[in-house]
Amino acid sequence: MTSLFINDQEVEVTPGTSILEACRQNGVNVPYFCYHPELSVAANCRMCLVEVEGWNKPAASCCTPVSEGMKVKTATDSLKKDRQMVMEYLLINHPLDCPVCDQGGSCKLQDYAVEHGASRGRYAEHKRAAINYDLGPFVNTCMTRCIHCTRCVRFADEVAGTGDIGILNRADHMTITGIVEDALESELSGNLPDICPVGALLDKPSLDVSRPWELTRHQSTCTQCPNGCDIRIESRGDEVMRIQPVEGSPEPWICDRGRYVYDAFRSEHRILEPKIRRDGELVKADWNDAFARTAELLQGKRVGILFSPDWSVEGQTAIRLMRDALFPDARVAYDLHRRDMRPFAFEEGLSMTTAQIADADQVVVLGCDLRQRLPLLMQRLRKRGRAGKPVSRIGAMNYRTNMEISNDAIIRPRDWAAVIARAMEQVRDLGKTAAGFDEWMAAVSGRHEAGKVLADALISDSCALLVGEEIRGHADAAALIYGLDLLMRACGHAEAGNDGRNLIPEGMNTQVLAATFGDVRASAGELFAAATAGELDALILVGSDPVGDGLFPSAAKAALGNVPLVQVGAISGQIGEYAAVQLPAAAYAEIEGTFVNMEGRIRVADSPIRSLGEERPLWKVMMRMIQVMGGEAPVVNLNELRKATRRIMPALAEAADAGGQDSVLIAPARNKKAKALPADGSERFDLDVVSRYSFYREGMWARASELLSEAGRIHALDDVLVHPETLQSQGLEPGELRVKTFLGEQRYRVGVRDDVSPGVLFVAKRGVAGDISDVSTASIDAALSGGAQ
Amino acid sequence: MAIPSDPKQVKQICFDRINIPDVNRLAVARKHGAYEFLPTVLSEFDSARIIDEVKTSGLRGRGGAGFPTGLKWSFVPRNTGKPTYLLCNADEGEPGTFKDRDIMRFDPHLLIEGMIMAGFALGVHDAYIYVRGEFLHEVNVLNAAIAEAYEANLLGENILGSGYGMHLTVHRGAGAYICGEETALIESLEGKPGRPRFKPPFPAVEGFYRSPTVVNNVETLATVPAILKFGGDWHAAIGIPNNTGCKIFSVSGHVNKAGNYEVPMGTSLKTLIEEHCGGLQHGSAPKVVIPGGSSTPWLTAEHYDTPLTYDDMMKAGSMLGSGAIIVMDETADVVAMSRRLAHFYAHESCGQCTPCREGTGWLERVMTRVENGQGTEEDMSVLSEAATHMAGRTICALADGAAAPILSMLQHFPEEVRARLLEKAA
Amino acid sequence: MSADAVVSETDRSEKNRFSDERLAEIEALVKRYPSAQSALMPVLHMAQEDFGYLSMDTQQMVADVLGLRLMQVREVVTFYTMFREQPCGSYLLEVCTNAGCMLNGANELVAHMCKTLQINIGETTPDGMFTVTEVECAGACGGAPVVQVNNVYHEKATPESMDALIAECRAAGGQ
Ligand SMILES: Cc1cc2nc3c(=O)[nH]c(=O)nc-3n(C[C@H](O)[C@H](O)[C@H](O)COP(=O)(O)O)c2cc1C
Ligand code: SF4
Ligand code: FES
Repeated sequence: MTSLFINDQEVEVTPGTSILEACRQNGVNVPYFCYHPELSVAANCRMCLVEVEGWNKPAASCCTPVSEGMKVKTATDSLKKDRQMVMEYLLINHPLDCPVCDQGGSCKLQDYAVEHGASRGRYAEHKRAAINYDLGPFVNTCMTRCIHCTRCVRFADEVAGTGDIGILNRADHMTITGIVEDALESELSGNLPDICPVGALLDKPSLDVSRPWELTRHQSTCTQCPNGCDIRIESRGDEVMRIQPVEGSPEPWICDRGRYVYDAFRSEHRILEPKIRRDGELVKADWNDAFARTAELLQGKRVGILFSPDWSVEGQTAIRLMRDALFPDARVAYDLHRRDMRPFAFEEGLSMTTAQIADADQVVVLGCDLRQRLPLLMQRLRKRGRAGKPVSRIGAMNYRTNMEISNDAIIRPRDWAAVIARAMEQVRDLGKTAAGFDEWMAAVSGRHEAGKVLADALISDSCALLVGEEIRGHADAAALIYGLDLLMRACGHAEAGNDGRNLIPEGMNTQVLAATFGDVRASAGELFAAATAGELDALILVGSDPVGDGLFPSAAKAALGNVPLVQVGAISGQIGEYAAVQLPAAAYAEIEGTFVNMEGRIRVADSPIRSLGEERPLWKVMMRMIQVMGGEAPVVNLNELRKATRRIMPALAEAADAGGQDSVLIAPARNKKAKALPADGSERFDLDVVSRYSFYREGMWARASELLSEAGRIHALDDVLVHPETLQSQGLEPGELRVKTFLGEQRYRVGVRDDVSPGVLFVAKRGVAGDISDVSTASIDAALSGGAQ
Repeated sequence: MAIPSDPKQVKQICFDRINIPDVNRLAVARKHGAYEFLPTVLSEFDSARIIDEVKTSGLRGRGGAGFPTGLKWSFVPRNTGKPTYLLCNADEGEPGTFKDRDIMRFDPHLLIEGMIMAGFALGVHDAYIYVRGEFLHEVNVLNAAIAEAYEANLLGENILGSGYGMHLTVHRGAGAYICGEETALIESLEGKPGRPRFKPPFPAVEGFYRSPTVVNNVETLATVPAILKFGGDWHAAIGIPNNTGCKIFSVSGHVNKAGNYEVPMGTSLKTLIEEHCGGLQHGSAPKVVIPGGSSTPWLTAEHYDTPLTYDDMMKAGSMLGSGAIIVMDETADVVAMSRRLAHFYAHESCGQCTPCREGTGWLERVMTRVENGQGTEEDMSVLSEAATHMAGRTICALADGAAAPILSMLQHFPEEVRARLLEKAA
Repeated sequence: MSADAVVSETDRSEKNRFSDERLAEIEALVKRYPSAQSALMPVLHMAQEDFGYLSMDTQQMVADVLGLRLMQVREVVTFYTMFREQPCGSYLLEVCTNAGCMLNGANELVAHMCKTLQINIGETTPDGMFTVTEVECAGACGGAPVVQVNNVYHEKATPESMDALIAECRAAGGQ
């Protein structure tokens, strides 16, 4: 530790800390504009000047490291004058438009002008004006207000990785500019207005509609991806104005999906009142009638229950209680992306925190479009990459990452077993092995060179394996994951404290769901098949959209042609068209509740925004459902419900009791007995199907959001993509082509891109090509012209 | 005239061969002693010995800051696993300075030889000369000389069979004064805008591509061959202690014979101007002398006798800087000069630091008004405060340079400025 | 990027492209630096020499040649005064008006040249032959005042010597 004196107070900080950080850690206020804890240091604003005893001029505290015994002064008369002058320099060219600027009231420049500025400006010359530019659908620019702190430039370089904001010209002609034709393409663009200390970059969707002091703030948890970020929802009256990150959270940023989904809260897609289908139309009903109809459809029937993983832990418990009370034989499904329901050697969830992943010696991403799926984790990997640490990857296409991947291989999903077997051979040759290795390898005939990428990374002290949707949704997932598990054990990455086995889950609460429903769980595909086969009489769906999302849209449609659907939820979605009854349940922002993110971190939402319609918290809807079907509600208040939750999942109780929310993480499940060997690889069709997860389009909330849908249109890809060789080998040209699967034939617009693996049919826009998602193999053919439609 | 074998006769170091026709050609230069001592250095000297000789010589950097060269070299960490780079600062942009240009266009082999020796001492295998973009002719001369040197195995792998190899590349700037600042030069050489980096880390530790890097001025490097040939003590005996050797002074402005003069340190300003430069165009004593390039504070007739050394100039309230002496006689308009220099700094600020970006433009605009007779009394204090609070509060010293002419004008000629303010009323 | 757009090879030919010799020169140049980005300024000098000025297309082409992002090129082009984004006259007359030259009549000289050519500072004659600009210290104050003509230094310039030079250029025609 280095000790120094700040304003005569002795303090200790880690060596290499900057004076500014030392001040911040010790509660000493030093003003600054360009410094940002998450960005590299620029030291250009010169607001953070301090005096160091024995130095002949003031020092910029943000870029000056502390040294032993240093005596720092932060509030001398001479510094006061310096700060006053920095304010005057900044203000000579700053417009005086605070009254019409959205930043007014939360503007560093305005605040410091009051705190450090002179009462009068002495500048009599012309002020400079700057040209605005386009930063995409979420960020508005007003560059005349820019104070050139370059935070946005550093953000684009370092965090977004796009590097498309730059500094043109020099001296006082210097301007911050984006490349105009190419709007900022980042899933994190909404953070730009937050880091801009003035009103140069402002939030576009909420532009000119509210002022900071009119807003009420609500702490909540975002459930738009398994990262489960803390969010602050800002509302004016009943209207949600925007969503912001929460300072001091594990993640400093939030992504555009979590931020701009807010317009869905008040959209026409909401289920705000109970509805019953009459003569083909859903019409408003009162709660009693709706429940009566529900009882008619469900009482004494064989049902399947499907629900979303994103409800609060309390909501999930209530679903279990309802099932046990009314349908003790019912099987449940909550994952629309898992085909293989055999237990996985390591179950969904991360064994490491995202910070630990960023620090590991090696990171290997297997079959995951991380940028679309977990942009914040992607951001951490980017940061790691900038520090020169490797990130390796194997996948079906060159998923865009905006970073340099150190070791990359593109493969077909049917090759995964051969990849793993190849890696096993390599580590075995180095003397590393685990019981079961030989048997596993023997079950695979081929070897794929991409295995080297994996094995090379495994030979290190710490290795974070990030297993993504390509493997999780694979038909033989249990075997692949068992193979990876063996590899990790062989290389010493499976012990407590050094467990690098991370399986990226589909949604929130994955550890809780496994504990709550492990014994009654089925795949969504199985439930639909059962319904289609007449083994079920009805389906209960609690807040998800198997027609719009997931791997089973055609199976879902077939099932719903056969049995009635009771839909409980907050958003109607595409599945709403099939509902016989709709029961409104409050959205994640509208409840008090507990959530668990992919790291096993417990998040608590406790200040909900008000509901607009007749919706009730999910647990109340579930309890009422029990009552109307003649049962007795097992819990009558939130306290009792929480007790029930703790009974079901003691780990949650322990973690919550341990105090500090972030101190105990709930570990994902491990199944020591899950020994699955890879199945023989003969395939019926010549192409593998991989479907894309779309950041802006996935999930019923995102599709209900106009803002996200707009961004989705801007960033859209073609329907289906293949490698040029794939077409060439069949003598085909891009365009309308016939795709054959075991579900039948359909035509799609097929485009070419040479960074998709040959032999893979990449479903880029699931909304358009949804049905191919139901299958894992396909073949293509020239479409018959004219005639046959 | 070759460097004489009796070192005591040496009057000039960098300019010793300058008047020899065609000495830019290797054959001619070699006839006059170029690379004569290089084989000895490569075979008999080692890094420590070279750095010691340079330390002993008392050589201080000729680029402006006057930092002891041997000391700078000794800061370079060894065995970092990264390459070490040597960059020659030939950006020569400081108004009034034009000495490096003459070394490069007339005696490029002197610089190349100095760089090989410095590179050898520092374990450098890739060296660059960053030449300001306007010096196209000098770039061509250097490139031709370098090609000859490669041909003669004075550059490239295994120089003269010594086992030591160094590559030398000329890199042309493109019109930015700030790229003379060493960290801006590094940024520029990395293919970026020339915006200075904050220090620490210093270039010696983390410079070009974050590797250990030494940046030296042309004149500094051109002095090295003589120091090694004749010894550090020989160099230390020229001039006065702590201000040793010769220095090239670029004299311009109101003198009869403007030009470069290499004289021993300690020669007085007056001697240089009266005896070498043929005196002033008008009058007998200068109104203003800017002794070290436009960024250094002004001196007046009162300091005409000051010896040309780093220390004496400091005592007189200015700096020796790059040795660019701008002389103004009694006909000079100090307000116009100040305004012109304000324009220069406003044009050349890299733009990153608030005080410099905003302050230089502000000073220029106020000065323009004052020069045009549209100033107000308050402008005096605005100029003074805006200049004072730029200096010493920014990443690099450009802001200090921008403040100097304004503060000097206000200090020495307040009445002249005030008279200008009143013109409007008249 | 949409997959349909990938195949188009149209109107590439109209845009500026480096010759094969240049490309070879660039390849050799890149090897002299630890990273290709260092070659950016030299390559921009080449592009300006070959194509007269640096249009947005040319900048994109340079970015592609060196594997840089357009923004990295734009930042450099706009930072350095010698890089031009607009064409200039066949003869670029750059008059230094900084300290040394100013004390030796540079302001009067530039005024004279503008009068002769009937343009203002920064402008190009209507025939596209001459552009006059003011520049910062050219580093040749010993020969003040200094005028650079297409990067060739003319020292101790006088109104007469400039008139003669302009006449000479006119006689030679704009090449
Ligand atoms: C604004 C500014 C401009 C500079 N310009 C030059 C220059 O043109 N040439 C030069 O050699 N040094 C220049 N310097 C000084 C360099 O930063 C550096 O000190 C010098 O190159 C070191 O070489 P030396 O130790 O051999 O003097 C400049 C410094 C500043 C702050
Ligand atoms: S002082 Fe001026 S030139 Fe130097 S770094 Fe700061 S802004 Fe750039
Ligand atoms: S915060 Fe230190 S200079 Fe801006």
